[in-house]
Amino acid sequence: MKVDIQRIEEGEESVVLRYKELTPKINRIIGILKDEEDRLWGRNDAGSVSVNLEAIYYVESVDDKIFAYTKEDVIRLEGSLNSFISEVRGDTFFRCSKSMIINVNKVSALKSLSSNRIDATMENGEHIMISRRYASDFRRLLRGYK
Amino acid sequence: MNEKKKISIWEAYLTKEIGIEFKACLYFFAILFLYCVFRIIEGDYSAQILHLAEMIFTCYIIGYIQVYCFGNFDEAEKLKGKEITGMIVCTAVYCVVSYFGGWFYKNLIYTLIFVAYLLLTYVCVFFIYKSKRQIDDKILNDELRLFQAEHKKSE
Repeated sequence: MKVDIQRIEEGEESVVLRYKELTPKINRIIGILKDEEDRLWGRNDAGSVSVNLEAIYYVESVDDKIFAYTKEDVIRLEGSLNSFISEVRGDTFFRCSKSMIINVNKVSALKSLSSNRIDATMENGEHIMISRRYASDFRRLLRGYK
Repeated sequence: MNEKKKISIWEAYLTKEIGIEFKACLYFFAILFLYCVFRIIEGDYSAQILHLAEMIFTCYIIGYIQVYCFGNFDEAEKLKGKEITGMIVCTAVYCVVSYFGGWFYKNLIYTLIFVAYLLLTYVCVFFIYKSKRQIDDKILNDELRLFQAEHKKSE
């Protein structure tokens, strides 16, 4: 994509976006320009869709693709788990294993397992394992230490 | 990234190793208690260094067997086939070593009591870990509710 940036001395600041197809990347740029930072753009079977961060239960990485799971939808997002976690603000999203990020606000119950693992039951009833490697950080997060 | 991975493997190994050391100490202490009781019953007020060395060595080896072969059965979620088999196998190994090591004067009744005592110890340790996890569940869920409430407030 060609990026043309001009500094102006007078007049109103403006952004003109010219695109051939409304890709998730373009949608994301539009989202930033419209100050929709709490929304993400992705794709599902119906095409390009936006999702509110709060509606996401968890994000999973499968074969180098990342998917956000909401109550009734699965949305394919651009980027990686690392880019997702660095993009979202706040500490409600937590990396709970190599391939998963959970929304702590969507956890309904926690269960302590052997070998210092934690089983998180999400509001939709799914069980997600917080591996031993991440469990200590998760406990610290809940206690308010990052 | 590689460095981070290396450290985490080392940390994982160290955590497991500390767990095995802890188990060795726990079961050594339990066996030592019974050893002392039998010694006192026999009117013998001294312990043999060789027996103690055998005990700690056996506890350490069985700790490895417990963790690597039988899925750490005393810390398991439920006592199923594999866990019960683990308990029986480990008890049998202790039993054989204790008999041939002469820990309990090669007395068959003492050895049988030792077997029952070990099985009881395993079951007790299993329930201790289970209740520890239940207390931990309560703490975790309280902390989760607090975290969620604070985040809702800040929104």
